[in-house]
Amino acid sequence: MSKYMLIMRSTAEALEASKDVDFEEIINQMGAYNESMINAGVMAGGDGLTDAAEGVVVDFSTEDRIVTDGPYGEVHELFNGFWIIQVSSKEEAVEWAKRAPLGPGSKLEVRRITDETDFEDFADNEYVQKEAGWREQLGTD
Amino acid sequence: MSRYMLVMRDSAEAYEASQQVDFTEIIAAMGAYNEALEAAGVLVASEGLSDPSETVVIDFSSADPVATDGPYGEVHELFNGFWVIETATKEEAVAWGKRCPLGPGSKLEVRRFGDASDLELDND
Repeated sequence: MSKYMLIMRSTAEALEASKDVDFEEIINQMGAYNESMINAGVMAGGDGLTDAAEGVVVDFSTEDRIVTDGPYGEVHELFNGFWIIQVSSKEEAVEWAKRAPLGPGSKLEVRRITDETDFEDFADNEYVQKEAGWREQLGTD
Repeated sequence: MSRYMLVMRDSAEAYEASQQVDFTEIIAAMGAYNEALEAAGVLVASEGLSDPSETVVIDFSSADPVATDGPYGEVHELFNGFWVIETATKEEAVAWGKRCPLGPGSKLEVRRFGDASDLELDND
């Protein structure tokens, strides 16, 4: 089993258009989608983010990090929320993603989340070992 | 208290450059950062994502969603991992963001999570 992150990306236009849709309808559609993943036992997490205008961007290009208020500038598609699902194959992850109640201008990026096998060459590393304990404490193992 | 997501974004150049750096060094720098977050009691969750070439993108523009293999096309800065932290203020979240061991070409986007207070609907 691997964990996959489904990253919701909407163009500014799609985001604007979604504001004209009855919000309760969106809640109902997303709720039904979430429920289907919970019932299938694949849901490992998920959250929505607040308006990108509330965001802050920290740039690491100079030694003194530069902090700017507002949406992330150069990304055309905003990142607005995600699901983490645990499935046995990439195909299964893609199948779940295709069932998301999203429309024109929206895309889902399906990315595998790294696990201990990605770090097996560094199994003796102090922090790789500590991470297992942190995950247990945080309940994210 | 609010939860914030620190979204790691690297330019393709920064991502390439990071692959030249000794991986043990990256693990040590990130590990120390994670340890600081954990010790301060602000860390909620954190994950790294696998190589962008493993990605699938699903486009919902047509009635049948279309899946394409490969990295997410039009985004110049790749999304490679995240932290979820819980802090009392946005300033505190930004201060933690600034301490992240990242370099030129990398940015962190600090975004607040929606919570019950954002849903003003009477939906019970």
